[in-house]
Amino acid sequence: MKKYIIISLITLSLAGCKKELEVVNPNVITTETFWKNDADFQSALAATYKVFRDVNNGYWGVRGVELTNGRGDDFFIRNDVQALYQLSTFTNTPSTGTPSSIFQGAYTGIFRANQIIENAQTAPISEESKKQYTAEAQFIRALNYFHLAINFGNVPIITTVPTDKSQYFQPSSPEAQVWQQIISDFTAAKEGLPESYDEKWVGRATKGAAIGYLGKAYLYNERWADAENEFKLLMSAPFQYDLRPNFADNFRPEFDNNEESVFEIQLQNVGGVQPWAGENANEALGVTTAQEFAPTEVAGWFEVSPTDTMFVEFEKEKTITGDYDPRMYASIVWDYPGAMYYNRPFKEFKLVFGYQSMIRKYQNWWNDNEQPNGNYISEINEKAMRFADVLLMYAEALTMQGKVVEATAPVNRVRDRANLAELPATYSQDEMMAEIRHQRMIELFREGHRFYDLKRWGLLEQEIKNSDKVGREFFDPARHAYFPIPQNELNTNPNIEQNPGW
Amino acid sequence: MKKRLQILLWISCLCITSVAYAQNLTIKGRVTSENEAIPGVNVVLKGTTTGTSTDMDGNYSLTVPDGNGTLIFTYIGYTPEEVPINNRTTLDVSLVQDIQTLSEVVVVGYGTQSRQSLVGSVASIKAEELRTQGVNTIQKSLQGRVAGVNIESSGGSPGSGVRILVRGTGSFNNNDPLYIVDGVQVTNINNLSPSDIASIDILKDASAAAIYGSRAANGVVLITTKTGTKGEPRIDFNVYAGLQSVTKKIDVLNASEWARVSNAAHDAAGLPRLDIAQNPESLGEGTDWQSEIYQVAPTQSYELGVSGGGDNFTYSLSGGYFDQNGIVRKTDYNRLNLRLKTDFTKGRLKIGESVILTRENWRNMAGGWGGQGGNPVGSATKMIPVFQVYDANALGGFSGASGPVVNVANPVAQLYLEDPTVNTNTVMANIFAELTLIDNLKYKYNVGYTNTFGYNYTYTAPYQVGALFQNLNSDLSESRNQTSFFLQEHTLAYDKAFGRHNFQALAGFGLQKNTFRSLNGSRSGMPGGLQVLDAGTTNIASGGLARENVLESYFGRFVYSYDQRYLLTANFRRDGSSRFGRAYRYGNFPSLALGWNLSNEAFYEPFRSYVSQLKLRASYGLLGNQEFDDYQYVASIPGNLNYVIGRDQQLWVGAIQQAFADPNLKWEESESINVGADLGFFNNRLSLIADYFIRKNSDLLLRVPLPLSTGSTVNPVVNAGQITNRGVELALSYNQEINDFSYQLTGTFTAIRNKVDQLGSGSQQISGGQPTHHGSSATITMAGQPVGTFYLIKTDGIFNDTDEVTAHSKEGKLIQPNAQPGDIRFVDANNDGIISEDDRVNVGNPNPDFSYGFGGNARWRDFDLSVFFQGTHGNKIYNGLRQDLEGMTLEFNYGKSTLNAWTPENPTDFPRAVINDPNYNSRTSDRFLESGSYLRLRTLQVGYTLPKALLERVKITSCRVYLGFDNLFTLTKYNGYNPDLGRYSGGTSQGIFDRGVDFGHVSYPLARTSMLGLQLSL
Repeated sequence: MKKYIIISLITLSLAGCKKELEVVNPNVITTETFWKNDADFQSALAATYKVFRDVNNGYWGVRGVELTNGRGDDFFIRNDVQALYQLSTFTNTPSTGTPSSIFQGAYTGIFRANQIIENAQTAPISEESKKQYTAEAQFIRALNYFHLAINFGNVPIITTVPTDKSQYFQPSSPEAQVWQQIISDFTAAKEGLPESYDEKWVGRATKGAAIGYLGKAYLYNERWADAENEFKLLMSAPFQYDLRPNFADNFRPEFDNNEESVFEIQLQNVGGVQPWAGENANEALGVTTAQEFAPTEVAGWFEVSPTDTMFVEFEKEKTITGDYDPRMYASIVWDYPGAMYYNRPFKEFKLVFGYQSMIRKYQNWWNDNEQPNGNYISEINEKAMRFADVLLMYAEALTMQGKVVEATAPVNRVRDRANLAELPATYSQDEMMAEIRHQRMIELFREGHRFYDLKRWGLLEQEIKNSDKVGREFFDPARHAYFPIPQNELNTNPNIEQNPGW
Repeated sequence: MKKRLQILLWISCLCITSVAYAQNLTIKGRVTSENEAIPGVNVVLKGTTTGTSTDMDGNYSLTVPDGNGTLIFTYIGYTPEEVPINNRTTLDVSLVQDIQTLSEVVVVGYGTQSRQSLVGSVASIKAEELRTQGVNTIQKSLQGRVAGVNIESSGGSPGSGVRILVRGTGSFNNNDPLYIVDGVQVTNINNLSPSDIASIDILKDASAAAIYGSRAANGVVLITTKTGTKGEPRIDFNVYAGLQSVTKKIDVLNASEWARVSNAAHDAAGLPRLDIAQNPESLGEGTDWQSEIYQVAPTQSYELGVSGGGDNFTYSLSGGYFDQNGIVRKTDYNRLNLRLKTDFTKGRLKIGESVILTRENWRNMAGGWGGQGGNPVGSATKMIPVFQVYDANALGGFSGASGPVVNVANPVAQLYLEDPTVNTNTVMANIFAELTLIDNLKYKYNVGYTNTFGYNYTYTAPYQVGALFQNLNSDLSESRNQTSFFLQEHTLAYDKAFGRHNFQALAGFGLQKNTFRSLNGSRSGMPGGLQVLDAGTTNIASGGLARENVLESYFGRFVYSYDQRYLLTANFRRDGSSRFGRAYRYGNFPSLALGWNLSNEAFYEPFRSYVSQLKLRASYGLLGNQEFDDYQYVASIPGNLNYVIGRDQQLWVGAIQQAFADPNLKWEESESINVGADLGFFNNRLSLIADYFIRKNSDLLLRVPLPLSTGSTVNPVVNAGQITNRGVELALSYNQEINDFSYQLTGTFTAIRNKVDQLGSGSQQISGGQPTHHGSSATITMAGQPVGTFYLIKTDGIFNDTDEVTAHSKEGKLIQPNAQPGDIRFVDANNDGIISEDDRVNVGNPNPDFSYGFGGNARWRDFDLSVFFQGTHGNKIYNGLRQDLEGMTLEFNYGKSTLNAWTPENPTDFPRAVINDPNYNSRTSDRFLESGSYLRLRTLQVGYTLPKALLERVKITSCRVYLGFDNLFTLTKYNGYNPDLGRYSGGTSQGIFDRGVDFGHVSYPLARTSMLGLQLSL
């Protein structure tokens, strides 16, 4: 009797239970069912682009903007978020959080791009689609490596999706090899990407963007002729890039994706409503940067300020009508007659850091505050590369080859828009470089270029020590030209070595 | 239940019966206890082998040679009685229940065993020991009472959970034991009313726990609720009321002191002083933020129960209400309980159930407001005392911080403006039908069901608090979730005794399904104080998710004993879990335990006068652990990784693989060896249970932190390591009775050595415990060291002058180039000429060398006293709050100790104040590591029982009043709120790697409680 019962119970249950243990995740699909059609690849691309605007890890999220600008002689970051204060005052260590986040964000983009590149080879999609998605992913991958190269130098080069645990732990490659990877990817992207997209796909990487970044990569490697050749392509058909007549338009949401835009990060309040929700449906699809930079009088968090070094640079040259450079008005606000800021006279704002100005560029300063949606997010697209930047890089590539006269025209295009007098065609190479340096500083303020330009030009130590930047006394060029490999990477990756100087 | 148990014991005693010889005198009688018959009592003529045992009605009949001898009556769980015959032919005896541990009955999985025949390691706590001490959860009252079980209470938050570690940290995942209440698995036992509990049995070693197989690797806590007994209804009423107050506040600066330190710090850095600190003398005391948030808080409890039974049934019904206000303003907890347990017998069939309904409500402490103060307790220490609490003109009514200071929120505003409420309704039901198929063979079908309905509600009123915190729209978020366990079990139990052999066999099959589903929504902009989602206008969000897992189990147990001398218990369990891939789904978990009751051997007789009882035990077994997240063996493609696209900037829905998955995930295994001895001295007045164990957990399921360079944003679960815990546990108790005075002393001692044998790829390290809002981690977990070992840069005093700074160099290069006199000298441990994270060295670990508890109960006439101490020794704590408050690098308030900061005129051992801290004096270092040893007077209770004579007139059976105190004092050198950290995060790996790190910004200080209570029985 006992036996029968046991046997019948067990057989009953066995029959019932094999299936019971097959439980599938009701929340997500799996790798087994993905990568089957164009829609899958398109959504994978969205998930790869999006990392650029991630609030903590994105290069154009608030922390990214603070990291790229924070170490320049033009920027001050207040003592609130310790990691930012440390990196901006050159007292950062490998444990400082923000560089670690940016490092992680870059590799998140790379991991995702690698998935697209690998899966496109085998997926049942058209050859045309394969080429498009691969090229687009290569562009994103190269851009992430570009950020790694200029910030960290020697980093691991990962171009495949790991299939085994042992592949999680990659050693660093020398910076030169990282640049080879960048140039190779941008070159491939240049070949595979279209010149433009339908209206509904505006914002994805174009051939022009790949060319611009390829030129920029050459410029950072002082391959002037190669750089010139790339930038030159963007000066004429089929490309239609031009400067926006009004400089300030570039930093208003209604002029997103304008004719001056080579590549920009798409931001809009169309997703979730929580800036810090993480990667899910609640994640807000704008950035909190404007809220973080806004003054306390409008409930902003006043994390940054332009230095007076920057202020003086803006004041250097007046327009042909004797006014301040329109880029000065568009970039900062100070106590000039009639100055308005967030619909209040500027006089009502208190300058708390001892500097004379506040930041206007990329702020929604025409509103009453930075919370019109109630959730701190700004919809002004971050301009990753503007045509003005291309013009100045083009001019630099020419000048560095001694083609100073040829460089005059692109510099003058930038000066004309700012209502400055035309440059004479008599500048020496040094004079022209000095002009380009000055123009880059004021044209591209807060766009994340200053520190890296100074590094290219070998002027980091000189300019930082000569500025009024807080923490300049701690700047050590051997150490601070690059960030250290983050402690979180060292803690988890036995094959990686710390950068020299750290 | 009790009856079944008695039958079982009666059977087990048959083997001791023997044959009578001569026919001189026949003695008859009945053995009872509290007027109830006891079957199976062993009756022996002293000094002979002549004996018998009582029948089902407690009657016995024994023939002895003459009328001069003495009869000995023994029965497990009762004090033996010796009665001289004195030529009587009728001898009725009343036995007294013996609460000594050595002769008790313990609950093991799917049944009970007598302590005598038990060979596994099981700790038992009876109801009397749990007599509520004003603590709101059962686990807190267990602290220090069970050897080998470490209970860490996370402070005084009303209705909060605790961390229970049975025999050390064995897993990187969930270290919670398995909780079984009346046969049903539950996720936690916080919601039970302590007075509903009859016993708690903690299965510690593999032999005891293996019947629960895969879920038992962290130990098993079996809770049995009270059952009725046959007889007239008994009505119990318990009530108490008490007051709680905060045991400790942190010493911080007042307004003018803060301004002085702040100015010194800015001056030293060459940076302008803060405007608000300009005139220190004029600022006075300022706001004492800590006094603003704490209160003396009442607590109260009422419980009413009725129990009883008839010939074929028993019942126990109880209900209770518990209410506790928090010592932090606006926080509170209350609980309603209703419980029914009955069983009915008809012929061969017995049907019974246990149903527990609870409703719990929490008003939690508000969280951080995105600033850097943390929760209100954290903010209260960091908020600059210059700022005001209230501002009648501001939206919301509160003032707050403004200007270039760190955004620390006004803690009072946090408490009042944010209302985070949680409700939980729990249904726990177990229904069984037991059929006696043939004699000694029982089939039981058991359905267990628990359902927890959770509801979270957080409303934030519109506010403008100072300049830094603004929330112009009211916010409301609500979520509901449902967790259910559904368990079906079939068991066959067979008990048989013949001669001196005694068998117990059990076979069973179980299927358990766990499901979870949640739904949430939030909106902002409800006008006019409305607090429903439909009234909201902006920030509309919703979400939900579901999870499910299934566990299928086959299990069996075989218990054999011979003559109460040789004992054997074997368990086997085979579990299949949906959490693993097809190839690794099933795990087999066997165990074997052997025991030897030396004191029952004939040759032992000469030793009995020294050691009255001696049993040796040894066990070996394998257990499993599958307590990690569902669906981890297959990589997923999460959706909603969204971006924006198009000329008109539309939502672009994204999806991609975010993380890696290991398809070869398999069971985490726990192999354990236990040797132990149960000893009794002085006629078992003194008892000692001693155990030594080795618990080796291998193939640990671990979310391995991957290099950032993999680009994975979620760490994958892999089998990646091995941890061994070795330990000694002692439990001691002594009972003595002298006339009107009786007392019991108890003590427990636990020493556990924890070591990671292997981790990940070999050199894998897991960093944990970032002690402050920003900054580096304090612990490393790696092979060769305990989990969560502190690795910190060592400090070596203060540089008193520039010569000392210069002297601290390597090959002519300064080791600390940014240092100035007054800064800390750090130890360049790896001798590479710079101070970096590579200079971290092992400076201790969060595990105590030993933990202990001791106390006593005493009774003199109608008065009783109980006192209990508990503590740990040798553990370290990283004081994260002190790192914040003594850093002087950020613009918030500082600790009192900063007044003693180094200056050239006053060269102290406390580093100088300098706001930009170029030398990183405030970095994570051994400067903030402290001893965590403590001794706490956990409870003190004095009671008075009213005389029976008085009560009989008003028909009251018993009545006791008492005065009790919890946490009267703690002796410790630790500077934080409470050395007993136990930050509990609901059964996740969170908190295992930072177990010894005190996160000041999320804590809730401990409360001291005084209470007055009444216990009444009719």
